Amino acid sequence: MATHELLLDPTGTDDGAQDSTLSPRPVSLRGLTIGLLDNTKPNSTMLLEEIASQLQQHHGAGEARLYTKDYFGTPVSDSLLEQIVDECDVVITAVGDCGSCSAATVADGIMFERAGIPTVSITSDSFLMSGRAMAQVQGFPGFDFYAVRHPMASLSAAEVRERALTAMPDVLRILGVEG
Amino acid sequence: MSTSTLEEEVAPPEVDADKVREVLEYYWAKEWTDGLPVVPATETYVDQFLATVGRDPEEVLFTITHLNRRLTVRLAAINAAMAGCRPEYFPVVLAAWEAIAKEPHPARGIWQSTTGTAPFLVVNGPIREEIGLNSRGNIFGSGFRANATIGRAIRLACINVFGLHPHKLDQATQGTPAKYSACIAENEEESPWPPLHTEYGFDRSDSVVTAYVIRSVMHIEARHTMEPEQLALDFVDSIRRTGALIHEYTSALLVVVPEHAAVFAAAGWTKDDLRNFVFTHAVRRRSDLVEVGKDALSQKTRWRLSSSHPDSMPDTASASDEPDVVRAISHPSSIQIMVAGANNAGVSAVVEVFTLNPPREHPYSYSKVGGL
Repeated sequence: MATHELLLDPTGTDDGAQDSTLSPRPVSLRGLTIGLLDNTKPNSTMLLEEIASQLQQHHGAGEARLYTKDYFGTPVSDSLLEQIVDECDVVITAVGDCGSCSAATVADGIMFERAGIPTVSITSDSFLMSGRAMAQVQGFPGFDFYAVRHPMASLSAAEVRERALTAMPDVLRILGVEG
Repeated sequence: MSTSTLEEEVAPPEVDADKVREVLEYYWAKEWTDGLPVVPATETYVDQFLATVGRDPEEVLFTITHLNRRLTVRLAAINAAMAGCRPEYFPVVLAAWEAIAKEPHPARGIWQSTTGTAPFLVVNGPIREEIGLNSRGNIFGSGFRANATIGRAIRLACINVFGLHPHKLDQATQGTPAKYSACIAENEEESPWPPLHTEYGFDRSDSVVTAYVIRSVMHIEARHTMEPEQLALDFVDSIRRTGALIHEYTSALLVVVPEHAAVFAAAGWTKDDLRNFVFTHAVRRRSDLVEVGKDALSQKTRWRLSSSHPDSMPDTASASDEPDVVRAISHPSSIQIMVAGANNAGVSAVVEVFTLNPPREHPYSYSKVGGL
């Protein structure tokens, strides 16, 4: 009779560390510097600037600084991450509206949270599952991010503004401040 | 096709079919498959794979940093066993991973992308005959264990090790059938030209795996001509299609059948002659690109779009002496040529090699089977 053996796990995931601790939330956004991380996808800059302007007008947020990623498909470089962590108090990053960039946007959010910066990652809702899968492989399965209605790339300025206004309650909730 | 001698000598084995199905269902439930049944992989069986390569099982072959995942020799072996490889195929799987690891796009997230590309492997050298890799008929089709399972070993590890499950981390809008398995061998014996791997400086007696990232395989139906120029232009027409263009350029692997290769060789064309001819003729009129709204580039992403778009900037050809002639290929060397298929008809193929910006002079990577 043949000997019995266990089937092997083909994933190699058991050595992945789990760290799903959010950075400390601010009591209020008053005077805080907002980092806007643009992944270069169409309409990202406009969406981010509109959200920042809402945070400034209605929640007393301070200066907004715009940063641009080298490549949308992979997470932010170490040097840019460090610079943003040095210069900003909270971060908004957008827009993950493709396969690789949706996952990268979520990975960016997790990296900022682990570096102590409250962050709102924005994907489009077509890529919700990609963002969730990235959170899983990053050892942060419940990571909360915002999924804006798809598509983003083809919108007019007025439509982008409307998307930004719709996002505000979730942006505030993720940052942990009262709307 | 290789046939086990067991089948001829003994009656079919008796099995506990419920138990077999239970094992297969376990794999499906764990989502450790491409949708097809997998071969159960246990320590003793995987050890047979590891024994074919003198490598540390914990050696890392390929890392996708941003996914926080690494493929070790051992994980490559487990997935090769599950894919249905025989242990003696494993040196080819290992070389394939080494080649893939040298490619720029897989490590940068291309297999999560909506673009929907697949790994595509070409095997050269004596290993083809040793393990029964098909190079002569139905090369892109089914029916050959070595081809089918070596390609599948890559896919299963993509799913299992890198978590590239469709609808999750793999967001391919459509993908390609090549995502199940894509491994072909060169028909070196019926080629008038030196085999692919000798172009990189290897000997014919070396076995080498070349890895590409591809999207489409397009057939070139041309049984009618003995004119090398006519035949080459038939290839060109498919290569320069506007649908291929993401950024400015495309790249191609010409998989030429022996009959077509003989037409070129009889006219005295070397591979470089064919390459240069294709390079020269793979152009579009600017008006063709205007018609499909791809006559300019996005300033931000450098994707092709219409010159009427607010984000547009002129493409490279616009600044040349002939702004109305737009090249589809950036370098002659980004056209690769190999011979494969049956010697029974004039039906070749163009494999569209995925091309981002900047275009690559040599859009492939390779590794020798069995190391240096």
